[in-house]
Amino acid sequence: MQPENKVSLVGRLQAMRETRFGAFVPVLLALAAIWIYFGLAVPLWEYWGDPDAQSMRFIFLSPRNIYNLFMQSAVIATLAVGITVVLLLGEIDLSAAATAGVCAALLGVLVLMGVPAPFACLIVMALGIVIGAAQGILVAYVGIPSFVVTLAGLLGFQGVMQKILPTGNLNVGDPFVRAFARVLLPDALGWALGILCVLYFAWTVLRKQSQRSARGLELDSPAATWGQIAFFGALVLATVATLNSYRSVPMLIVLLMVITALVGWVTTSTPYGRAIFSVGGNPESARRVGIDVKRIRVSAFAIVGLMAAIGGIFGASRFGSVSYTAFAGGSLLLESIGAAVIGGTSLFGGRGSVWNAILGALVIGSLGNGLDLSGAGAADKLMFSGAILLLAVAIDAVSRSGTTER
Amino acid sequence: MSQTKQSMGPTAPSPHLRVSDIHKRFGGVHALKGVNFEVARGEVMALVGDNGAGKSTLMKVLAGAHTADEGQFFIDEEAVSVNSPHDASDLGIQIVYQDLALCENLDVAANLCLGAEPIKPGFSFLPRFLRPLDDLEMEVRAQEAIDRLQVKTLKSVRAKVGGLSGGQRQAIAIARAVGADGSVVMLDEPTAALGVAQTRQVLDVVKRLRDTNHAVVYISHNMRDIFEVADRICVLRHGANVATWNKNDVTPDQIVSAMTRGLDKEAQNAA
Repeated sequence: MQPENKVSLVGRLQAMRETRFGAFVPVLLALAAIWIYFGLAVPLWEYWGDPDAQSMRFIFLSPRNIYNLFMQSAVIATLAVGITVVLLLGEIDLSAAATAGVCAALLGVLVLMGVPAPFACLIVMALGIVIGAAQGILVAYVGIPSFVVTLAGLLGFQGVMQKILPTGNLNVGDPFVRAFARVLLPDALGWALGILCVLYFAWTVLRKQSQRSARGLELDSPAATWGQIAFFGALVLATVATLNSYRSVPMLIVLLMVITALVGWVTTSTPYGRAIFSVGGNPESARRVGIDVKRIRVSAFAIVGLMAAIGGIFGASRFGSVSYTAFAGGSLLLESIGAAVIGGTSLFGGRGSVWNAILGALVIGSLGNGLDLSGAGAADKLMFSGAILLLAVAIDAVSRSGTTER
Repeated sequence: MSQTKQSMGPTAPSPHLRVSDIHKRFGGVHALKGVNFEVARGEVMALVGDNGAGKSTLMKVLAGAHTADEGQFFIDEEAVSVNSPHDASDLGIQIVYQDLALCENLDVAANLCLGAEPIKPGFSFLPRFLRPLDDLEMEVRAQEAIDRLQVKTLKSVRAKVGGLSGGQRQAIAIARAVGADGSVVMLDEPTAALGVAQTRQVLDVVKRLRDTNHAVVYISHNMRDIFEVADRICVLRHGANVATWNKNDVTPDQIVSAMTRGLDKEAQNAA
C-alpha cells in the first residue's frame, strides 16, 4: 500500500494541471526558457566568444524582433485557437491550414474579380464555416473518425487550392485586405487600449472576489487575486511598450486578441462552452444530461473552419499575397496543431484553453525566430520543434495518466 | 411480515413509485415476466438477484431507458407512463449508473449543474446557449447539494472530479441525481469498486437520502451493505419476483438461497 503523503512527480504535475493557473505554467516556462536562451544566453556567448565585439547585441529581445515575432505568429495563433476548440472535444482537424489556403486563395480571386473586399471577406468566412460544418457532419453523423475526414480534407483542399491558383501564387494588393496587417494604432490609442484592458480585468477579478465574499463562497487567496492582476497588467503593458517602441500596436494583433477573447469567453463562460468541455471529458455523461453531442461536434468543426478562414484573411493581409507553400503546402498546419498542444490543450479532449494556444504559437514562433537569428538551418528548426512538441504531449500524457489511475 | 409474488405485504408503507405486471422481451428472451415492484418515500428498497435475474432490465425500465412491453406505472397511486428517460426524469425518477458518468475534467459544481446551468440575468437578447453562466450561483447550489448529503470529506466544490476518491465521486453522482428533482433515486452497485472507508461514506449518503424522504432503490450483491441500509429487500429470479421481505424478517442466507434456488416450501410458508 502506498503511503498517502508520498507525492510523485506525476502526482505533482497532475495536481498542478488541475489548478486554475497551473495549465499556463509549462508553456510559460517553455517560453521563458526560449526567450532567456535566445535573448540572453546566445548574445552573452557570442560576446565572450568574440574578442572584437564592442558590445552585446540583444537582437532577439529587440522591439523590432518582438514586433516581427508577434506578426509571424499571428496566423499560426489564429488557426491554433480554432484547432483548440476541436481538440477540446478530443477530435482533430488536419485540414485547417488547407482550408485557410482555399479561403485565402478565393479571397484573392474575388477581390481580383472586383468583388468589394469586405464582402469577399464575409464570403470566405462563410465558406470556412461551411467547410468545417461539412466535415463535422461526416464526423458526428456518419461516424468517420475526424483524423480520416480531415486528412481527406487536407488532401482535397490542397488540390482545390492548386486549382484556384494554377501558378501557385497570387498577389493581393487590395487596401482593405492589406489594412489588417498594415494599420497601426497610434501610440496613445495603444496605451489607452492596454490600460483599459488591464483596468477591466482588475475590475472583473476584484468584483468576482467581492461577490464570492458576499455569498460566503470560498475565496481566492490575496496572492492569487493580485498576482493574476499584476501578471496580466505587466504582460499587456510590456507588450504595448515594446510594440510602441518599434512601430506601434498593429491592428492584426488587436483583432487576434479580440477574436481570442471572444472564443475564450464562449468556451469557458457559456452553456455551449461547458457542453464542449463535457463532451470532451465524457461524451456519455453529456448525452445523459441532454446535451446534443452530435450538434456540438458539428459546431466545433464549424468554428475551426471559421478560424481557418480568418487565418487565411490575416495571412493574405500580412504576406500581401496568397501562395500554396504559405498555407496548404507548408508547415502552417503542424505549427498550428503544435501551438495548441504546446499550449497545454490535451489531445485526449476536455482540457485546454485558447489563451494557451496563443502562448503555444509564441513558443513555436520564438523557436523558429531564434533559430533563424542564430543562423540555424531548416533541419535544426524542424528537429527542435519536434522535440518541444514531443515534450508537450509527454507532459499531457503523463498528467492524464495521473488522473485516470487515481 | 412480508410478501408474496403479487402483493407487497401488509407492512409495506404507501408506495411512491409502484409498477405492476411488467413484461419485457428482447427477441425470444422474456427478461421480465410480470414483475411487481414498489418503493415508498423515506425507504430504501434493495433489489437483488443473481446475474440475469432481471435487476438491470427492471432498473432500466423504471428509468425509461427500456420501454416495458406490458405493465403499469404509478406515482403516488396515480397511473403514469414512462416511455423515455425524459419521462422518468420528469416524474422525479433518477438513476446513478455504476459508471457514474461524471466529467473528470470539470469541477464538482460544474458536474452537479451540467445540462441545467444557472444563467446570469439580463442577457435575453442572446440565445440561451450563449448566455453567460452564473458560476457563483452554480457553486452555491453545489455547496447546498453537498451539504444536504453531508459529504464532509469534500473540501471544495471547485475541486476537479478527476482528483476525487471513488466514494466522493459516488456521492457527487448521487447529489446530481437528487439535485435534478429526484424523488426516486436508483443506485446501481454503488459500492462495487470502493474500499471500506469509501463504502462507509456512500452508505451514510444513502441513509441520508432516506432521512430526507427520498425513495431509494439500491441494487447490490453485497449482503452486508444491503442489510445495513435497506428497509425491504426485493428478490428477483429468472425475470420474476421471488419475494419481498422486510429486512428484519429475513437472514442473508435466506436471501442468497432465494436468489439462487427460489423459495423452498419452508420459506414459502414463512412468507
